[in-house]
Amino acid sequence: MTEKTRSDSQPGKGSPILEVKDLGVKFWVSDEWWTAAEHLDYTVNAGEVLAIVGESGSGKSQSSMSLLGLLPSNGRATGSAVLNGTELIGMPPERMQGVRGNDISVIFQEPMTALNPVYTAGYQIVETLRVHLDIGPSEAKERALELMRLVEIPDPEDRFHSFPHQLSGGQRQRIMIAQALACQPKLLIADEPTTALDVTVQAEILKLMRELKSKLDAGIILITHDMGVVADMADRIIVMRAGQVVETGTAEEIFYRPQHPYTRQLLDAVPHLGAGTEGEVFGSSLDDVESSSFRHAEEGEVDPHHDGSRDSLGTKHAGSATVAEGGANRTDDLDAESRELAEAGQPDHHIEMDSTETFYHPGSQADFSKPSALQLRDAAIEYPASGRKKAFRAAHHINLMIAPGEVVGLVGESGSGKTTIGRAALGLLPTVEGDMVVNGTSIKGLSNKQMRPLRKEVGIVFQDPGSSLNPRLPVGESIGEPLYLHEGMKGPELSRKVEELLTAVELPTSMRNRYPHELSGGQRQRIGIARALTLRPKLLIADEPTSALDVSVQAKVLDLFEGLQKEYGFACLFISHDLAVVERIAERIAVMRHGYLVEIGKSSQVVSNPVHPYTQRLLSAVPVPDPTEQRKRREARDAVLEATTNA
Amino acid sequence: MSTNNDNQNALALDEVRDNAIESKETEGLSQGKIVLRKFLRHKGAMISIIVLVLVAVFAFSAQGIAGLPGWWKYSHTASGQVLNPGGAPTWSFSNLFSLGEHPFGQDEIGRDNFARVMKGTQISIIVMFIIGAVCLIIGTTVGALAGYYRGWIDSVLMRITDGFIILPVIVVGSILGVLVGGSSGPMLGLALGCILWTGLARLVRGDFMSLREREFVDSARVAGASDFRIMFKHMLPNAMGVIIVNTTLIMSQAIVLEASLSYLGFGIQPPGISLGQLISEYQTSFATRPWLFWWPGLFIIIIALCVNFIGDGLRDAFDPRMKTIPSWRKMKKAERMAQKGAK
Amino acid sequence: MIRFILRRLLSTALVLLVVTFVLYLLLNVALDFFWDLRSSTSPNIEALYESRRRLLDLDTPAVIRYFKWLAGVGGCAIGQCDFGIAWKSGQEVTDQLQGAIVNTIKLITASTIVAIILGIAVGMISAIRQYSGFDYFITFVSFLLYSLPVFWVAVLLKQYGAIDINNFINDPTFDSWWPIIIVCAAMGLFWMGALGGNGKRRVITFSAATLITFATIYYILASSWLQHPSIGVVGVIIIGLGAAVVMTYLSTGLKNRRVLYASLTTAAIGALLFMPLQYLFYYVEMNWLWMTGLLIVAIAVAIGVGLAFRGPDPWDTARTTSFTAIIVAFLIFADRVLQGWQDYSNDPAINNRPIATIGASAPNIDGDFWITNLDSFTHLLLPSIALILISFASYTRYTRGSMLEVMGQDYIRTARAKGLNERTVIMRHALRNALLPLASVVPVDIITMIGGAVITETIFGWNGMGKLFIDSMRQAELDPVMAYILITGLLSIIANLVADFLYAVLDPRIRVNA
Repeated sequence: MTEKTRSDSQPGKGSPILEVKDLGVKFWVSDEWWTAAEHLDYTVNAGEVLAIVGESGSGKSQSSMSLLGLLPSNGRATGSAVLNGTELIGMPPERMQGVRGNDISVIFQEPMTALNPVYTAGYQIVETLRVHLDIGPSEAKERALELMRLVEIPDPEDRFHSFPHQLSGGQRQRIMIAQALACQPKLLIADEPTTALDVTVQAEILKLMRELKSKLDAGIILITHDMGVVADMADRIIVMRAGQVVETGTAEEIFYRPQHPYTRQLLDAVPHLGAGTEGEVFGSSLDDVESSSFRHAEEGEVDPHHDGSRDSLGTKHAGSATVAEGGANRTDDLDAESRELAEAGQPDHHIEMDSTETFYHPGSQADFSKPSALQLRDAAIEYPASGRKKAFRAAHHINLMIAPGEVVGLVGESGSGKTTIGRAALGLLPTVEGDMVVNGTSIKGLSNKQMRPLRKEVGIVFQDPGSSLNPRLPVGESIGEPLYLHEGMKGPELSRKVEELLTAVELPTSMRNRYPHELSGGQRQRIGIARALTLRPKLLIADEPTSALDVSVQAKVLDLFEGLQKEYGFACLFISHDLAVVERIAERIAVMRHGYLVEIGKSSQVVSNPVHPYTQRLLSAVPVPDPTEQRKRREARDAVLEATTNA
Repeated sequence: MSTNNDNQNALALDEVRDNAIESKETEGLSQGKIVLRKFLRHKGAMISIIVLVLVAVFAFSAQGIAGLPGWWKYSHTASGQVLNPGGAPTWSFSNLFSLGEHPFGQDEIGRDNFARVMKGTQISIIVMFIIGAVCLIIGTTVGALAGYYRGWIDSVLMRITDGFIILPVIVVGSILGVLVGGSSGPMLGLALGCILWTGLARLVRGDFMSLREREFVDSARVAGASDFRIMFKHMLPNAMGVIIVNTTLIMSQAIVLEASLSYLGFGIQPPGISLGQLISEYQTSFATRPWLFWWPGLFIIIIALCVNFIGDGLRDAFDPRMKTIPSWRKMKKAERMAQKGAK
Repeated sequence: MIRFILRRLLSTALVLLVVTFVLYLLLNVALDFFWDLRSSTSPNIEALYESRRRLLDLDTPAVIRYFKWLAGVGGCAIGQCDFGIAWKSGQEVTDQLQGAIVNTIKLITASTIVAIILGIAVGMISAIRQYSGFDYFITFVSFLLYSLPVFWVAVLLKQYGAIDINNFINDPTFDSWWPIIIVCAAMGLFWMGALGGNGKRRVITFSAATLITFATIYYILASSWLQHPSIGVVGVIIIGLGAAVVMTYLSTGLKNRRVLYASLTTAAIGALLFMPLQYLFYYVEMNWLWMTGLLIVAIAVAIGVGLAFRGPDPWDTARTTSFTAIIVAFLIFADRVLQGWQDYSNDPAINNRPIATIGASAPNIDGDFWITNLDSFTHLLLPSIALILISFASYTRYTRGSMLEVMGQDYIRTARAKGLNERTVIMRHALRNALLPLASVVPVDIITMIGGAVITETIFGWNGMGKLFIDSMRQAELDPVMAYILITGLLSIIANLVADFLYAVLDPRIRVNA
């Protein structure tokens, strides 16, 4: 039945699929209508990506969900949305069920929770197929496997029988995409499809979506807050703020000639990778990838810190980063090409992807004789065993030093052990091997009690400002607690100090009596910073301090942070997954992978001249908020991705 | 836990948007005040509190307590002349409504049933609160220690709770009831409190385990707080919801348990008096003097039901997921109005 | 996984050992072994005390006596159980236990199964209709049930559920029509709330439910069904076809004609077999082995029918037909049991008061398989209701809470976004996940149920473990009390183990990780 309508009205390339006029979404909250979005007008054409961009609370998600009738029961949609001649708003639920998953399908943000944990990946794809198409189980399975191959899942026959928790984040998102594509929808809504993923996985998914876009000829609505992703994918862009459309236009218009001040502000706020580096960022063009091998070859010989043993390793298993020549006419068999080159015995001294040795850029070799705020000497850190769970070693053989007053960025993807190091430096996790020296004192093996006097000199800012403040205490009390505990400060003296700190983080002093839930994310993070700085620590651990914040808020918090760092002069270990943020804030960058420190060097060295293939992969995967540049980078990225995926 | 909450919200509104709405509702209030406000809005719980307080005031004032005399003219021990045939209740609808001498009736030796039920209610309420208090103290302490320290302390404490959970409470209760025996309500309360705390301990332990992973606990430790301060200043207030709600629910179980034990003859025994004991004493006379059976039973149910509803109200109030329930009727009305306006 | 279960088993067994030890010592202090001698005026009172002391070995320290007791119990491992004796009656505890264990398990199993099924169904509907009148009503009822003391309910059940019903069966006259009208309207409201829908649908549901209830009551009264109840071939056909439709609706939806026709066929086959089975029942002496065999045959036939209809998902069809077959089989069984009603009721031991209030079976009843069963059902009826009322509430609340939690999850939104209909979203995606945590509630609830059985058995004179415990406590007989504690403890360990196992089987996350 649905098949028939499709063939009748098969849209040609570029013809409008969805026309939205004056769409609005309202919620019934505390006995009144509360507008989440209004006056949306847009058209989605076949084979085109329309990006709806906005920060949290802009109504971007809700307006798209209203197309499918997936609003919660207290939500109402008004206006009109016509999909190939069918009005979607106000469609009775029975008919809407025929549209969902068939004509319009959705890719959700969180692949972990968006797939049903008790059914296999294959079953969930088959289910979608069989709801809409009249096919038997074996045919459906065939098609599901085809789809899984389409989204490039390794061993589809195996994975078909896997449960979601047995798949990696990227694979889950691929299953999600396969499921969304099952009935060849005319319109695909991708709701923050890569937000929950690591940057390299995000790059893979973006690449996949681009390929599918050209193959499938469906219209795509991409909902995201990430300007880099937008630059990578979008043809046209809608910028939303607080339920209103502030600007629409093509990607070029929005990025190069933004009209609305909010758009401009938004673009300015995005940290731009390579902003602090003279010369180009690695991965800006394909040349980087090609030439990197030769450059490193030379360096490898002159670099005194280069570990000699690695050379022999590298020559045997070359090929990871040697994506090699012929970039201009890059074809799909590039991988094969590079392998050929590797086999031909190119003179490279590179590091293998799985190498666990640390590469020290010149000047970054840890010198433990100098005074330092933090030293990790061949340190290994474990999560202790609890119950039947065995102890888990999250960081191995780390050599790292932070000089007083220096900001070092620690970068890695989830599970790389970067947070582990931060927690160990605070004595929250035990250092089991090597040594951990904080401000000249070894903290290895100290108990909580013995740690207490040392705690004056170390502060921490946590990732989630909502979780790092005690919800039952007024924020003033949270800020003042270290003073009370360490210096016994009380009464008016304490109040004065707390007010001083609030002023320092640019918050009104009246806020001290507020509770965390009354503050916005940015305000909470400022409180978090104030609290960390209460005792004027010599070392500050900042664990993803801005990753939970909207980009415009993030920019402000980073500004504040930089100002305070100059003023207070503390050394800082700045942990983040976002290379652009780290580059902006840190003097040196350390890169972690699977619990090993793989590369460390000056920010400019690491960003423009990475040596470890993983760093290269990481750098090339970061999308930059600039469509033209991103187009160049994309090619380099795809090359690196292909070369290193299975390395 | 918190990730689940977020998922829940994902359908409703963007999370921050959600906060915006929430903070609109809760501007300038501490968590405690928000909980109180939500609780005050819970109709069932409010009615229950009023009823429960009335029952308690009535029971304690009618028979007096600790030597103080009550206002009711009969004592629960004094026998007297049987007025109505069989001692039936004397209230009637002649002259609109009159209570008569013995509104709840009398037993076969002419004791006033109202006096006895009020005295029984007193004792049952006292036992209930003692059980609640004992459970609160033991359960919270054990749960907090096990959840915070984990490791062997946790294992040992949890094996101990296993020991209590392996047998029905009524069985262990019977044995303890016989042991402390006889007519003392408070002693029975203490004994029963010692076996009912296990569920609470498990829940508090779970709560502490998840609170331990929260960053504010780390941040308190980094600030230099001692274990004791972290547990009681930082974690305990955040576990208060679980503790209060479950203590209430334990109390509703407690009153029924006390009644059951007394009914079986292992709880409060004559001359001691409690609601369960009254039913036990009079059950054989159900056919002839049903009022002796109905009244104490009714009071047990009223008290237990009220406590249950209060617990439910508290649970909703402490649950961060529970927002004010949107009123569908008002929403429909507003929609209709809007449609009319459009036409 | 197996190692994990073994470890748990071992640790709980140790816990049980410690518990028995502590309780043994406590009981030694608590029980008064001379209670019957206290008021004795016998001249040789000293000698009596002395002999009692020797009988119970009270001069030996309690700790040592515990280990003696334990050694006797440990004998079970080599087939020589010695649980001691109940000194007052002089019976061996092992003899007392035999009937008691069976009786208690009989009582608890039936009630648990009914409570779980009802509780899950009602809890699920309550969650789907959150904040509706139905939801509030169910919430209120479950709180009321939480608050009811079992003994109080049991006394009421005895009065109104047995004595008054028996009176009514013997003298079926009504004072007024009001109770019937109220019952009909209440049923109408209940189904209206449960099925929901828009205004028109609600009116239809209400009228239909009211009318059907009224017709049923009218039929029961007019045909004096209560005096000689039976289902009959007509009843089997009607209810069987209805069950086929409902089962199809729940499992695949009525749109799937193939499944619908398959289940209807199954119901029809059941109806066709009705008469032949009557002959079988008449000529062959039945027992439970036969019954089980027949049930297996019925399921096999149903699966055969399901597979014969082929289609893309033969096993989905077979599943639905099997459920239909189980229902039809049950109907035929129930019909045959009810056919003995007249004989049973007229038996002098029953004296036309069929609903029993005391005991597990009527004394002096001679009858075949069917009569014995009928007898045991009439005795099971009231205590089971009392027990069901206790745990029904907790299952309802738990299912409701868990269902609400699941309905807010992302994967439910995904399922909707796929275009699944509401029935599939709820039955396939929500319910399965919502029932997982229930596996951890069941063992706890079974322990509560055993506790509830203590009181229920005492009131209904049901010779089970609970009554044994209470009686022995009253008589200060230590050994049977200890036997009760040990066996109940073992039962709850087994229940926990089964639940752990179920959980692991149902939840792939645990299954695979372990």
